[in-house]
Amino acid sequence: MLSTVGLTHYLVVAAVLFTLGVLGIFINRKNIILVLMCIEMMLLAVNINMVSFSAFLHDLAGQVFTFFILTVAAAEVAIGLAIVTVFFRNRGSIEVDDTNMMKG
Amino acid sequence: MTPFNMMPFDWFAVAPALPEVFLACAAMGLLIVGVFSRGEVASRSVGGLALVSLVVTYVIMHAAKVADFQQAFPKGAVGFMFVADEFAFYAKGLILAAGVFSILLTPDFMNRNSINKFEYYVLITLATLGMMIMVSANDLLAMYVGMELMSFCLYILAAFWRDNLKSSEAGLKYFVLGSLASGLMLYGMSLLYGMTGDTSFDGIGILLGNGLPNIEHSVAITVALVLMIVAMAFKVSAVPFHMWTPDVYEGAPTPVTVFMATAPKAAAMLLMMRVLYQPLLALEDQWMQMLTVLSLLTMGIGSLLAIVQTNIKRLLAYSSIGNVGFMLVGVVAGTEDGVQGVLVYLAIYLTMTIGLFAVLLSLRRKNVFVETIDDLAGLARTAPGAAFAMMLITFSLAGVPPLVGFFGKFYVFSAAIAAGQTWLAISGVLFSVIAAYYCLRIVKVMYFDEGKFRPELNQPSNAQWIAVLAAAGVLVMSVFIDVLDHTAGRAASSLFRLEHTVARH
Amino acid sequence: MLAFADLVFYMFAAMLLGSAMGVIFAKNPMHCVLLLILTFFNAAGLFILLGAEFIGLLLVMVYVGAIAVMFLFVLMTIDIDFAVLKEGFASYLPSGLIVGAVLMAELVIAGQAGLFSGARISTLTAMPAPDGVENIRALGQVLFTHYLFPFQVAALILLVAMIGAIVLTHRRREGVRRQNVMAQIARTREDSLSIVKVKPGQGI
Repeated sequence: MLSTVGLTHYLVVAAVLFTLGVLGIFINRKNIILVLMCIEMMLLAVNINMVSFSAFLHDLAGQVFTFFILTVAAAEVAIGLAIVTVFFRNRGSIEVDDTNMMKG
Repeated sequence: MTPFNMMPFDWFAVAPALPEVFLACAAMGLLIVGVFSRGEVASRSVGGLALVSLVVTYVIMHAAKVADFQQAFPKGAVGFMFVADEFAFYAKGLILAAGVFSILLTPDFMNRNSINKFEYYVLITLATLGMMIMVSANDLLAMYVGMELMSFCLYILAAFWRDNLKSSEAGLKYFVLGSLASGLMLYGMSLLYGMTGDTSFDGIGILLGNGLPNIEHSVAITVALVLMIVAMAFKVSAVPFHMWTPDVYEGAPTPVTVFMATAPKAAAMLLMMRVLYQPLLALEDQWMQMLTVLSLLTMGIGSLLAIVQTNIKRLLAYSSIGNVGFMLVGVVAGTEDGVQGVLVYLAIYLTMTIGLFAVLLSLRRKNVFVETIDDLAGLARTAPGAAFAMMLITFSLAGVPPLVGFFGKFYVFSAAIAAGQTWLAISGVLFSVIAAYYCLRIVKVMYFDEGKFRPELNQPSNAQWIAVLAAAGVLVMSVFIDVLDHTAGRAASSLFRLEHTVARH
Repeated sequence: MLAFADLVFYMFAAMLLGSAMGVIFAKNPMHCVLLLILTFFNAAGLFILLGAEFIGLLLVMVYVGAIAVMFLFVLMTIDIDFAVLKEGFASYLPSGLIVGAVLMAELVIAGQAGLFSGARISTLTAMPAPDGVENIRALGQVLFTHYLFPFQVAALILLVAMIGAIVLTHRRREGVRRQNVMAQIARTREDSLSIVKVKPGQGI
């Protein structure tokens, strides 16, 4: 039996996941840790895109790219959580949506 | 294409990237020196060594250019992702100079706020390395890793004053928005890869140019283009993606602000030009429209909002946004002259920005550095030299003719007119008149107002002589503008070397 | 009837998107992290389904093993009232949904654009995957040769993350006794021992 799942299916899954990530950043913008998780979901969507293109093009470059995105994402989370920790120590909360301190 | 299993590793292929290899090793060396020396000595020796490494990197780069490594070892393990052309050479010159002056402006401020840790210099060195990789990138992957290396260092540097709430908030804001932007850019890259099947700039350029019929009309390519432009607009802080700039500039420690306002801005601008003019050249019609809008908004918002600022670092943030807008006019021109204008503008912008911050860092009262514009009141009486240097630089920023700031604007606007974008150039001139207003306001406050803060000159500090140097620079550079223009011209023409794009396939 | 592979795809995809929804809507951040882990597991399933076994396994190791644990760690060390942070959720929701809807429409259209309907998008491949070589071996062969340059830069990025985490969060605490190995080794009999003659009945 022939498989009916093609590249488009994977791309749509990635598109929906990416959108969920962006949406999550918008609606959870007060909780900075959740924002970090949503950024990770966006990167995961990019990875799904890359790997499915790679598989359907029969080309390794996409998988290598994914490898690098994974590495960089790990570093990104480490730095992000370090900054969150410093912010928490100074502030006693992780709310970013406060406009008292600075505007914008 | 090389067959899969036959890719011998050629060590000489690394040769074009020798300056980067040296800087990477130097950064790790600095880390070791820092770890094994103690306290005050650590930051002083690492700072000095970082300075030396940046200068040596420039020397190596010059030698590599004279020996023409790029021609001798055109492609290889490094070569295919890395291009060391005239454009990259010019770009790295600017970046290294900005790095050197930021390091020189650092120690005094850091010591007075007791945050002088040696890691600062290691991070500046690594950020500089990231920028050098960015401007030499010839592949989406190299561009991505270079950009992230730079950004990660900057996130940490912005939050470096870790006992200061403003600094950590600046770091947090920059981090979240920066990661969002790089996520968007990656999605764009993935679509670009999927549509063309290649990640190298050369391959993408050819395929978009003539490889596939009607590919430039595909929705996926347009979405990819939009996402990548959004990310790069964020990095150069073009409106409407500028929100982070004033907050981060204000919150970060001032030496970090100096660095962020100079080197990364130049690197992002240069990368943007390479990406638009090499792989995405076939989509010129589409990106030109987007950038025209961005350029108008950026000039407008930057110049107008600078007027209402009271904090001087926020003012400089908006001023830098405005300057990015003027530079985008040159990018939109779409010609070699336009790119050349932007390159000249960047060199002038870096000189002026470093000069302004050097003046600010040389003025303080006890351990408090000037923060608001009102703090500068009466400066002409308390520190006439500093006031005069500041006046020269702000006049140059406003574009008063004999000073060098005028030439930057003149080049980009005349390139735009030559390219038929007359109305964009005219609105640029209008906005620079508005921008002149906030420049004159600073001069007025310094010379005609009476102040309470009464800042004193910071005796003796690097900031002073750098301010003098920059003030002299804005005077003297106008005389030697031909030399700068000539160098920028060669750099610009190497960006338009199309045969280089066709060579690979 | 669906082929078995299709069935597996739909299962992974549904679980992936379902748990992703959970991440952004869940009330308790601890649940968010656990759902994030589920999301990553399902994505790993999709990768393996696509024949990218190495990336699939790497995803489990890096994300579940390192990143998710890091999130849990920070959530547990930072003591905050998460209920407060959910305030404003409802007010952000409409604008968020609009942005999301527009973005998703664009991306899905992009995904279904005419060019994808053909079997082959482009004739060009940057790094053709070899036939008959396992995925891990194939990646290993290019990663350290063709991709050496970004590989080294990625190493520097990890170094930056390490420096950053230490410089930002490390505090030297007062009053903590540390082991000083050099001092321990350098101890001699003379500075630590003295022989005292004690006379009977007098004490020291």
